Amino acid sequence: MRPILLQGHERSLTQIKYNREGDLLFSVSKDHVVNAWFSHNGERLGTYEGHVGAIWTVDVNSSSTLLISGSADNTAKLWDVSNGKCLKSWEFNTAVRCVQFSEDDKLVLIVTEPRMGYPATLQIFNVENSTTETVSSEPIYDFHPEGPKITVAAWGALNRYIVAGRENGSVALIDPKSGEYISTNKVHELTLTDLQMSADRTYFITASKDKSAKVLETESLEVLKTYTTDTPLNSAAIMPKHQEFVVVGGGQEAMDVTTTSSRQGKFECRFWHKVLEEEVGRVRGHFGPINTIAIHPDGRSFASGGEDGYVRVHHFDDDFFTFKFQI
Amino acid sequence: MPVSATNWADEVDGEDQPQTFTDANGITTTIEYRTNEDGKKVKVTRRTQKKLIHDVVNKAVAARKKWPKFGKEKGNRPGPDPATTNVGDNIKLKLSSTGDVVQDVDEKHEAMKAQLQNKKILCRICKGDHFTTKCPYKDSLGMEDAAAPVAAAEEAAPEEQQTGSKYIAPHMRAGASGPKSGDRDSMREKRDEQPTLRVTNLSEDVTEGDVSELFKRFGHISRVFLARDRETNQCKGFAFVSFTMREDAQRALEAIDGRGYDNLILRVEWAR
Repeated sequence: MRPILLQGHERSLTQIKYNREGDLLFSVSKDHVVNAWFSHNGERLGTYEGHVGAIWTVDVNSSSTLLISGSADNTAKLWDVSNGKCLKSWEFNTAVRCVQFSEDDKLVLIVTEPRMGYPATLQIFNVENSTTETVSSEPIYDFHPEGPKITVAAWGALNRYIVAGRENGSVALIDPKSGEYISTNKVHELTLTDLQMSADRTYFITASKDKSAKVLETESLEVLKTYTTDTPLNSAAIMPKHQEFVVVGGGQEAMDVTTTSSRQGKFECRFWHKVLEEEVGRVRGHFGPINTIAIHPDGRSFASGGEDGYVRVHHFDDDFFTFKFQI
Repeated sequence: MPVSATNWADEVDGEDQPQTFTDANGITTTIEYRTNEDGKKVKVTRRTQKKLIHDVVNKAVAARKKWPKFGKEKGNRPGPDPATTNVGDNIKLKLSSTGDVVQDVDEKHEAMKAQLQNKKILCRICKGDHFTTKCPYKDSLGMEDAAAPVAAAEEAAPEEQQTGSKYIAPHMRAGASGPKSGDRDSMREKRDEQPTLRVTNLSEDVTEGDVSELFKRFGHISRVFLARDRETNQCKGFAFVSFTMREDAQRALEAIDGRGYDNLILRVEWAR
């Protein structure tokens, strides 16, 4: 397969995300700009400009009308996907770590970092009708979760839970109405770097700096599968269709990269069989650690964003779909 | 082509016009002349092949395709901009059930290491047991013969003995029994020894798989080469098939020669 290289960023990528149909790909990086791309040919639809700090996170709603981005400039911004206009900017005391639309598109979850005496917050805003009306600056819920810092978070099925991945390698289930911890489970040794839900949100995959990725059940936080690699992982994604695979990626820390060759750096997307926990293939190409991986919702292509500032969009060859794992 | 103009002035003018022509394979070649950043005129030749692919998409997706561009892309033409979008090198995703994905990466490294283990590495500058390029005295003592390829570090020892002013090509040097060139010769010999058939009058759609499918019933095939058009990637109409056993090749020749395949009558003969 021939990857499409997207060079819209000047600094390392932090997150990429497909919309529900998978025709658009959104990428954010440390260079203050959000880019929107057509995933089938890599054409850039436009840029969303307004942030003045590194953007850590992005999410798009299921009808692809609203886009939310969270940045280190202590703001989260809501954008009109179609024309790049900023509809709302929420100010916080510290940097925004994680943003996500709820399953019904009515709420957004925003997680901010603890810093300079300010505690970490987990806030939920109402964005229903936000294309027509002004959005409230006040959150519906404002929680101050105790314990280790939350690095990644996602909504569970039917907005019943918020799943949070924390700095000490544990995952926690939070009640979105009270902000209380329902349960926690320490599944990794080191900090969680990514947490992506399956299509039906009944299970999710985590990636950690402890060189492993795990599949957990949402309800019970029970570890179902473990994929152990030889390099710190920055991202993990579940393939929704065609093949029972997960894709994980990472590489050694960016600051150590200059001391080793790109071969030893292990900057590859690794394909693992989701059920049998066997590695089945690798895709190389990045010359820096892979920071983020997203898989097209139809399972026919995937994209990876690296510390090298490139997004690589891969459309699978035909033999990918006919492959059968031999036991 | 408008170059057949009579007058040199016309010719220069005509040269600046983009030229477009389409060949029999449906490949359109566009030649443009542009001035680059250094003020130099460059010729840009682009070869494109158009394929119409029909796809059924969601209505919302179709509507989004018509959205005008915004932000930094505002006012740009539809279609990918080469400044932001490029196509990378072909990458093979080899899926395997055996879990040997990991080894295949490091194998080359290991092979290289093993190869170097028996070789005595000698620095040409300080005679230490390291590569010349890694010599700590590289700058102070200076390179005696910087022209010699660095990769040939292991043959440094014999080279030192005949340090003349005359240049001797690497493969002619003493001690350089030429593992590389020798390898290639032996490869060729090996290939020549193998009984090889030339198959001609193949149709355009034939692939290597088809050819080996056709011939493997006669015995073990060591190699199939199918000539392909460089642009269309279609079969050029002939292929070479090497067998391990001469008898198998003979039987294949007798059986397949003159047989019909894809509406064409195949011709099989010994390759020379």
